[in-house]
Amino acid sequence: MLGRLYRSNFRSLALLLFVTVFAVMAQRALAQQRPTFTVGWSVYVGWNPYYYMAKSGILRRWADKYGVDIRVQRFDYAASLDAFVAKNIDACAMTNMEALDMPAAAGVDTTAVLLGDYSNGNDAVLTRQNLSLAQLPAKQVMLVEKTVSQYLFERAMTLNGLETQIKQVRYVNTSDSDIAYAFLADASKPAVVTWKPLVSQIMKSKDVKMIFNSSQIPGEIMDLLVIRTEVLNRPDGSGQKFAKAIAGAWYELMAMMAQNGAAADKVLAGIAEASKDSLDSYKEQLSTTHMFYTAQSAAQMASSPDIRKTMDLVRQFCFSHGMLGNKTKSPDDVAIQFADGSVLGRSDRIRLRFNTAFMQLAAQGKL
Amino acid sequence: MSLLRIHASPSRTTTWILSWVLFVAGITTYFYVAQQRHRENPDDRVMPTAGQMIRAFQDAALKPAEDNAEGELSGTLFTHLRSSMLWKDTIATGRRFLISVALLFPAVLLGLHMALFPYIGAFFLRFIQFFDKIVALSLLPILFIAFGIDELSKIMLIVVGVTPTIILDAFNLSNGVPSEQITKAFTLGAGDFAVAYRIVFKQILPRVLNSIRLNLKAVMLFLFAGEMIASTDGLAYRIALLRRHLGMDTIIPYVLWVALLLFLVDMAIHLFNRKMHPWFQE
Repeated sequence: MLGRLYRSNFRSLALLLFVTVFAVMAQRALAQQRPTFTVGWSVYVGWNPYYYMAKSGILRRWADKYGVDIRVQRFDYAASLDAFVAKNIDACAMTNMEALDMPAAAGVDTTAVLLGDYSNGNDAVLTRQNLSLAQLPAKQVMLVEKTVSQYLFERAMTLNGLETQIKQVRYVNTSDSDIAYAFLADASKPAVVTWKPLVSQIMKSKDVKMIFNSSQIPGEIMDLLVIRTEVLNRPDGSGQKFAKAIAGAWYELMAMMAQNGAAADKVLAGIAEASKDSLDSYKEQLSTTHMFYTAQSAAQMASSPDIRKTMDLVRQFCFSHGMLGNKTKSPDDVAIQFADGSVLGRSDRIRLRFNTAFMQLAAQGKL
Repeated sequence: MSLLRIHASPSRTTTWILSWVLFVAGITTYFYVAQQRHRENPDDRVMPTAGQMIRAFQDAALKPAEDNAEGELSGTLFTHLRSSMLWKDTIATGRRFLISVALLFPAVLLGLHMALFPYIGAFFLRFIQFFDKIVALSLLPILFIAFGIDELSKIMLIVVGVTPTIILDAFNLSNGVPSEQITKAFTLGAGDFAVAYRIVFKQILPRVLNSIRLNLKAVMLFLFAGEMIASTDGLAYRIALLRRHLGMDTIIPYVLWVALLLFLVDMAIHLFNRKMHPWFQE
């Protein structure tokens, strides 16, 4: 009796196992026909749309059109960069500076395919007791070192003719997860450099004043979607399809965001969910973000000569702060290619490329 | 198979070889993968090769620190070392570490008193048992308000995180001293403090030292957390900073350096313990 029970159980188990294996294999076979790509993003006003794009089904529709599968995965910012450099994900949302000093400097050839926005006041220098930039040398400034915060601060000093005094400022490297309450709690620290929504949080305190923000260096802190060049140039063309699908989905969503009234509010509220923000708070963040709602405007910006000047500033900053690696002897060793084909640096060492092809296709409605 | 029996008796050479197998396997795998990655991408920074790490460590140990880059390049090896990034970071972290470890000793005394003096025990025990279960890192905002974001908050993070464990350990060890001994000491005419310090404390000290040795890593962990959150110098500060642009060629030697330092401190306490308490056998 027991033996038979055991046996019949065994049989049904074997059957179950067989069915499972078959189902998994069938699914695999199906999936194999459609190449899969993963996009990493992190919470930021200009990147939250990726969340909504995946959730609302817009991305799926475009992916189906081009016959690819696209997964969208949320990371912490630093982790998303690591994952991209380690080639665990195919595309990632990052700033122009990190695109240069993380993947490009680590030898991962990277192509920027979408220019989403630039920070137009999202990043800011805040001080207590009405201190001005000129009073900051020899004082402590809290910021996340070697990020756009430090870039913003040093640009602010340079633009105000205080370049020679930058070295006297004492940076306190503070993790972005703690910087807001660390600054609010410790009144002995006179200045902080950070980004929204932390800026808004700190500004609620009475004696804090904003003395510089990224709207004074418009277009220098750009938010991009980058794809590994080897993925983009896969011989089977699937990388191109992936880029087209994501560009199509992106500009469809941008058009929805740019509408007026209730329709846009519904979309924006859905996007705000990505960072658990309220609609008002998200709108407030958008007001200091220069979004490129149309593909034309993005392509125009990405192919303008300004971008060359910006990237030169950024690469000099990265190089002089050792962010391109110990081995890199000159900023030219991590070369940047622009949309018109011109190169900043050694043409045999191109690591970061600006590609406007997909934005232009979107602008011409050819996607 | 007699190899896997309790009664198996490997020779000294075999034991020695076996003890290194995992090291060799780990190191070989690392360099094999690193090599492969470098063949694929010569600029790879995620898994640096041995040469890169040695060079980066030399830079860290011999070149003047980044913030005073105009430092002189002449001078003896020692002056080079003294002005290097590694030296400065080690001093900063070492200072915090030693202060924190020194603060563990009052904790031992508190545990001892709690076990011996009923009123002190009644006053502290419940609170410290509760406090021991608090995850110190989650209290950071309060620590910042109370102690600022400079040195004090980093040391207090360690104190809040590690001392309750040490207090409770000393308390339990003191309770473990046979009451007959205490009664005997009293009948021989010892006073309260003679019993506490000459009978109980002497007996628990070697065990307490061992428990401090076990907690060294916890101390270091809290210290690293503190330095990574807000700092201007220190070993963990450097690691956090280098991580931001994948300076693994410096980070890996730094991590090994920290391991070595911890090992040396652990060893020092161990030797001190053996020297001071030759009668103590585990």
